[in-house]
Amino acid sequence: MTEVLPDAQPADTRQAETEPRYGVGERRKRFDALGRVRGTIRYTGDEANPPGTAFVGVHRSTAPHARIVAVHTEDALAVEGVLAVVTGRDLYEVLGDRIYTGPAFADQPCLAVDKTRFVGEAIAAVLATDPDTARAAADEIAVEYEELPPVYDIDDALRGEAFVHEELRPSSVFADLAHLRGVRGTNVNYEYRQILGDAAAEHERAATTVTATTWAPPTHHVPIELPSTSAWVDSGRLEMLSTTQTPSYVRQTVSDLLDIPLSQVRIMTRPLGGSFGCKMYDRLEPLAAALAWTTGRRVRIDATREDAFLLTTRHGARVTGSMSADADGNIVAVTSDVRYDTGAFADVGPRIAAKSGLVAPGPYRIAAVDVRSRCIYTNKVSAGPFRGFGVPQVTWSHETLIDELARELGEDPYRFRRRHLLREGDIATVGTKMHSADFLTCIDEVTRAVGWDDPTPEGDGRWVHGKGVAVGMKAVLTPTIANATLNLNQDGSATLLISTVDMGQGSDTIMSQIVGEVLSLDSRRIHVVRADTDATPYDTITAGSRSTYHTGNAVRLVAEAMRNKLLGFAAERWGVPAEELVLDAQGVVHEAKELRGSLSDLVRAKFGARGATVTTAENFTSWWVPYDHDTGLSEKVTEHWFAGAAAVRLAVDIWTGRIRTQHLAIAGDVGRAINPTLVEQQLTGAAIMGIGHTLFDEMVFDQGQITNATMLDYQLPSIKDLPEKLTPVIVESAHRDGPFGAKGVGETTILPIAPAYAGAVRDACGVRITTLPLTPERVLNHLADAADPGKAGR
Amino acid sequence: MNEITLDVNGTPYKVAVEDTTLLLDALRRRVGVTSAREGCGVGACGACTVLAEGRSVSSCLAVAVRYDGTPLTTADGLPEDDPVVSSFVDSDAMQCGYCIPGFVLMTKELLSENRSPSDEEISDHLEGNICRCATYPEIIKAVRLAAKRSAT
Ligand code: FES
Ligand code: FES
Repeated sequence: MTEVLPDAQPADTRQAETEPRYGVGERRKRFDALGRVRGTIRYTGDEANPPGTAFVGVHRSTAPHARIVAVHTEDALAVEGVLAVVTGRDLYEVLGDRIYTGPAFADQPCLAVDKTRFVGEAIAAVLATDPDTARAAADEIAVEYEELPPVYDIDDALRGEAFVHEELRPSSVFADLAHLRGVRGTNVNYEYRQILGDAAAEHERAATTVTATTWAPPTHHVPIELPSTSAWVDSGRLEMLSTTQTPSYVRQTVSDLLDIPLSQVRIMTRPLGGSFGCKMYDRLEPLAAALAWTTGRRVRIDATREDAFLLTTRHGARVTGSMSADADGNIVAVTSDVRYDTGAFADVGPRIAAKSGLVAPGPYRIAAVDVRSRCIYTNKVSAGPFRGFGVPQVTWSHETLIDELARELGEDPYRFRRRHLLREGDIATVGTKMHSADFLTCIDEVTRAVGWDDPTPEGDGRWVHGKGVAVGMKAVLTPTIANATLNLNQDGSATLLISTVDMGQGSDTIMSQIVGEVLSLDSRRIHVVRADTDATPYDTITAGSRSTYHTGNAVRLVAEAMRNKLLGFAAERWGVPAEELVLDAQGVVHEAKELRGSLSDLVRAKFGARGATVTTAENFTSWWVPYDHDTGLSEKVTEHWFAGAAAVRLAVDIWTGRIRTQHLAIAGDVGRAINPTLVEQQLTGAAIMGIGHTLFDEMVFDQGQITNATMLDYQLPSIKDLPEKLTPVIVESAHRDGPFGAKGVGETTILPIAPAYAGAVRDACGVRITTLPLTPERVLNHLADAADPGKAGR
Repeated sequence: MNEITLDVNGTPYKVAVEDTTLLLDALRRRVGVTSAREGCGVGACGACTVLAEGRSVSSCLAVAVRYDGTPLTTADGLPEDDPVVSSFVDSDAMQCGYCIPGFVLMTKELLSENRSPSDEEISDHLEGNICRCATYPEIIKAVRLAAKRSAT
């Protein structure tokens, strides 16, 4: 006999077992697909502005490096509709040094106080009754400057004649930077070294050495949604709605800035219209919070596209590297000098210098390495996190080197890499044992996809053909913390509370798939709450491809805890041991006694109320062994690795320098694809963004000033830049600790694109280009230089 | 100030605008349209696309007064079973979704002029719209599917 609990709902029938559950591994649609297509889901900027909202216009610096002598605000104040004008000095009077914020160094004032450090830095803010008035009045502000010697690029910075900051100011966020406090007379805010063996001696002894200096320029994320932030004070609490990937971080920053308890700060988010790293850490939020707090007004800051270009960028990076092989073709030494241009503020640059510097030698078995990776201030827009977190820049170097080394040795670039790639159980140069980083399958799959061994077309004298391959290696951000809270509703649906922000990657959808899998629920019955620090628990950040692994694990744990709790309810009710119960699509079952109860009935029976909820909460924290200060080595530098590869077949027009992509194949080891459709979209999306970085994306600076900060001037990949054929390959080498074996994916395939292309151009027309992007002009110049060996290409 | 009528998805809205008020701002701030969005403000991304009598317009470049009384379509005005809408949904042609309504309207326009466009004609027509998430492969699939669905 099967006991049916009272009020069994008709939906709970045997038949349900055959219905799809949209769990782990299924190509389930995004839950809000229709809203995204019709444009009815609400992004931050879609929220209405209550009457009384003050719109903010920002007056920006025209000097790259100058002392601020005076800020004249009278004309702006006189504009009809202007409510207030606030300068950095005004805020400093209230906030003191707390006005300086930033994730690694407290060096970013939300309005410049005494000195301006780049063209475009915010100097003063105008609050007005409408956005157009605010912007127009901001133009009426006049600033008197006393010019200081500018530091335009890395070379200027290292010469050490002028300094962007008088002294280094590590923030309180990262304890390991504390020893840098007060250091003066340098533009280098952080240096990471990796020393393994004696690289100099190995180079000396080696049979073959190749050397290259590569340059990857600053680029911009350009998500189509512009940043927007509103802030207001409610009962002494500071509340904000903002386009941010890091609500928990922003909450802490605002609490520090205003010197109020965390519980008095609330950060709310909406889905993001893309970000790729530019909507994290300190962007518009400190300014909005400071203005709302000091004026008592509800403020709203909407960045224009020109403003957005001034908020953060990807680091331009120059890398000088050497790679040597012995007579048997073994890689015996790699030396790498990495220089990241972080601009006026360190932002997360010190972390990038370390965490990307540590993979500078590449994912190979190498006997000896010597890496020096530096984060360097200059008087330009500050650089920060961007999809790949500094790794595309070092990959550009190590993949250039190994490709040249293979060619120098007369070997096939694919097979040469393959022989030296790290395998399961190998120790990477940084000292960490490799697990679930399947470079071999990735490189095998992409070369197979493009028919690596098929003959390359002859060409017609104008179009010449070539093929290239590259791999990319990245560590996931570790250590980080994720929490999840789950409410099971009495109707058998569930509500998941996490602070991961869905910005297009589809995290809300895959997190519900994980819950659904554990609880045997249709994942479409699980709602994910948007990050809101009043409700959703702490999460380090949504970035670095960490969420699937970290938040995914917290979500798996919270669902398992819920399962146990529910089994406990049934055990109590039926007087049986919980271990004898299982949870399936119909609910809790005791097979031997033929007892069965739906989740809905169990909850109703427990609480005697419709609409009741059951709550569980769990945490997942990853750990690492901090790298040794002198050698940069660590036996566990990260929780897991990303392995990716790209192979491309292309044609170069030697008349115009144009590059045509015939077939691009990309692969990423994702551990386990929770939702293969979303994984493929991340793989192809990152690859196409990588095509932009390879062929044309670039921020152009003239004496510290960006000259292409509009979408008319800044070129992005359009539908016409799609390869003629594009093949994404999902590699699933399960991670022992991932949720269902899964790891993240968002950055994997942006890493190897540029070097794969450059290798193919080398294959097609014999020129090795080491400066990105591979514009037609640059290709032509190299072809001309190759024809005239007297000149060196750039 | 001018009092004009914005005829949005068949509903007339009386709104007061300046001579210089942009159509995008009028639609978002006065009518409450969410599907037309600013991405660049200079006509280079297509996020602000609306249809005026069936023809695509970058509403970030258009002044509102010129559209007094003109029938306007925005993506949120399209029904769920519209062949273009359903094809985008079924092709997973969205990631962050911010740019997608613009692509949907460009596809409506394309299919009204050309019932079975080639892939080249599809990319020619959609070239001015930028999807930074690079959902392009799925968008192409969606347009092909929409052409098929519209034909039947
Ligand atoms: S906002 Fe109108 S085209 Fe970009
Ligand atoms: S889906 Fe994100 S910009 Fe297109």
